[in-house]
Amino acid sequence: MAWRASLSRSLKEIRVLFCQSSPASAAAREFVKKNYGDIKARNPSLPFLVRECSGVQPQLWARYDMGVERCVNLDGLTEAQIDKKLEELAKAGESLKTK
Amino acid sequence: MAFLARALRQSNSRLSSCPSVAASCRWISRTAAAGSPEAGAAVAPADPELPPPREPVGGARVELPPNPEDALEVFVDGHAVRIPKGFTVLQACEVAGVDIPRFCYHSRLSIAGNCRMCLVEVEKSPKPVASCAMPALPGMKIKTNTPVAKKAREGVMEFLLMNHPLDCPICDQGGECDLQDQSMAFGADRGRFTEMKRSVVDKNLGPLVKTVMTRCIQCTRCVRFATEVAGVQDLGMLGRGSGEEIGTYVEKLMTSELSGNVIDICPVGALTSKPFAFKARNWELKGTETIDVTDAVGSNIRVDSRGPEVMRIVPRLNEDINEEWISDKTRFCYDGLKRQRLNDPMIRGPDGRFKAVTWRDALAVVAEVLHQVKPEEITGVAGKLSDAESMMALKDFVNRMGSDKVLCEGNGPNPPADLRSNYLMNTSIAGLEKADVFLLVGTQPRVEAAMVNARIRKTVKATQAKVGYIGPPADFNYDHEHLGTGPQTLVEITEGRHPFCSVLQSAKNPVIIAGAGLFEREDQDALFSMIETVAKRFNVTRPDWNGLNVLLLHAAQAAALDLGLVANPAESIKSAKFLYLMGADDISLDKLPDDAFVVYQGHHGDKAVYRANVILPSSAFSEKEGTYENTEGCTQWTIPAVPTVGDARDDWKIIRALSEVAGALLPYDSLSAVRDRISTVAPNLVHVDEREPSTISVEVKPPVKQKVSSTPFKTVVENFYMTDAITRASKIMAQCSATLLKK
Repeated sequence: MAWRASLSRSLKEIRVLFCQSSPASAAAREFVKKNYGDIKARNPSLPFLVRECSGVQPQLWARYDMGVERCVNLDGLTEAQIDKKLEELAKAGESLKTK
Repeated sequence: MAFLARALRQSNSRLSSCPSVAASCRWISRTAAAGSPEAGAAVAPADPELPPPREPVGGARVELPPNPEDALEVFVDGHAVRIPKGFTVLQACEVAGVDIPRFCYHSRLSIAGNCRMCLVEVEKSPKPVASCAMPALPGMKIKTNTPVAKKAREGVMEFLLMNHPLDCPICDQGGECDLQDQSMAFGADRGRFTEMKRSVVDKNLGPLVKTVMTRCIQCTRCVRFATEVAGVQDLGMLGRGSGEEIGTYVEKLMTSELSGNVIDICPVGALTSKPFAFKARNWELKGTETIDVTDAVGSNIRVDSRGPEVMRIVPRLNEDINEEWISDKTRFCYDGLKRQRLNDPMIRGPDGRFKAVTWRDALAVVAEVLHQVKPEEITGVAGKLSDAESMMALKDFVNRMGSDKVLCEGNGPNPPADLRSNYLMNTSIAGLEKADVFLLVGTQPRVEAAMVNARIRKTVKATQAKVGYIGPPADFNYDHEHLGTGPQTLVEITEGRHPFCSVLQSAKNPVIIAGAGLFEREDQDALFSMIETVAKRFNVTRPDWNGLNVLLLHAAQAAALDLGLVANPAESIKSAKFLYLMGADDISLDKLPDDAFVVYQGHHGDKAVYRANVILPSSAFSEKEGTYENTEGCTQWTIPAVPTVGDARDDWKIIRALSEVAGALLPYDSLSAVRDRISTVAPNLVHVDEREPSTISVEVKPPVKQKVSSTPFKTVVENFYMTDAITRASKIMAQCSATLLKK
């Protein structure tokens, strides 16, 4: 969990998109409910945009410097896997910065 | 029957989940065909022998109750129809597909029954009955097309025309007058009146409503509207018999924010639009259905234009947002669209004067300066009237230039953009009618959102809902309890020490409305955390009811928060060497460095052009397609009604071109491509005419360590008539400010 404290340095913005009621987004909804508080407490100024819309595939977007963005489709993933994906996106931000 | 087609199309677009279908349903009509629903009442069946159709008339509002015992059956011209109990004969006829003529009846006002135009024959009744005031009884047999009914209506029409002046050729209501239509359908072919006609002195209601009281037929619609909807006791009936007059008793202006709606509901030309007087006939006008942007309500409007000029703005029916009313600011600011317009790109020369240049030169200069500054010194500010496409392009462009400093004016130093329930009206505007207690925190709905105020007033009148208000002393048009002026009152409510707590405790559906002016406070996080504590304590948010609301101020605010324009304005401007203002006229530039380069992109020469180095002209809301989200989270599209002024372009197209010249090319070339991009940021912004509820509640937020300041709340809207660049350019709004804000 130590990587969560440095999210602000590697990411510019996190966006989570999911549906309010569909089963495909259930894991994403639970992930946001359980982890938003912790991530936000460690990174108060990092935008963590949660956008709900009916019929939307669950997605996790990360924005890096110079407007570069990456997206991960969260359909079929469990909460632990979503957490892993977020960590991977943060590490990708670290590598982007060194270039 | 254009209004019938529009009503059906509106329900269709609500059922459709595909935005392109909703877009194709838009239409442009000649306004002669798009008359008011009441004007359709004059259309009598062409063949009296033909049985009338069974479909309800357009605009009839019927919802059969689930319990069969709460419904009853009546016969209209021999056809059986089922209606809820409590319906009147007129409503039953509407369900049966028969349009009853009327002057005084209006479905959103109380029943007066004084025009007698809706007389119908009921079996076993010795006289014709006024159908708007007669409750329908089980088994009642109603006849609407008999010689008795026709004779009755002809007699009423003869009485009405007795004293009515024969000035149709010079009346502004010509072409959309209920009296004209109904006299054609129901009146006699010649008059028998040979005596002197009555004349009445005109009243002065202010700079918006022109009165020709000789034409008045004393239907009292305007009196009931002023009393019941607008909430001001300005109008009334004086005298009796042939001396009856509608007026203000004493010389007094009509001071409501909704006074322009009396023009729409007046069935004759007694009350017309003063700015529109003698300007156009309604058959010369092209009507375009679009969205209002003067506040965050997003009222549905129809822009009537003739060639390149906007002639007037009238309301369009939307039951969920504005019903069929609009505020006076929305209706009368249209002349601001013609004044103070920017039409050519301009560059400020060394002598400080602006010089018109070509687009290529202007963009080249801007791109050159962009490459001379560091990425973190670039700041982009979206204005109050920005559409979602432009804000998306601005954010993408500034991000690709390496800066995060993109913001929207009015969203404060730390915008709560993460969770949508933090900044939307979660109850919905129509849902406010189910509330029984309102707690207004730092907001004055009467001037911030006149249509939301009308809903609150409607609820207070209908169910005696209680209203508690925390803020500076303000003028309300319903009963309210002034609890205090600042956060200290909120602390007392949080701790349960305030007398208003018992009201909140006993409420079944309590509503808390926080004003968007609170976003500008430094202690905004702590304040909203306290409001959320109050909501939790009094069960304001639960699975079947969400009464926690934020009333936004500007049309761009909700979409800006959805898209994540969250930079701190003070810090962003203090460090800016390149400032891009997209219609941002009200943001404070006092801390801007003197050597900063300012680009102003907008449609009016307002406050910010005085500081600009480059001016890029853009289209107004009436000239472009744009996405706007209102304070309850309903996404709506504007449709261009008139061509763009001069060499102006759409906002997002300017930024797209600038990105190409600057070498940070944005990947969209069309409006649909921008909207596809928006769907990857806030997919609710591409679900048109729909609200997307939020299921993630504020309880997932971490605790707030900030302390609440004791500074009292401030008045956010000082002048209701001048809140943005369009209204400040309007001469009509200037007259309203001068005459109506004297209190």
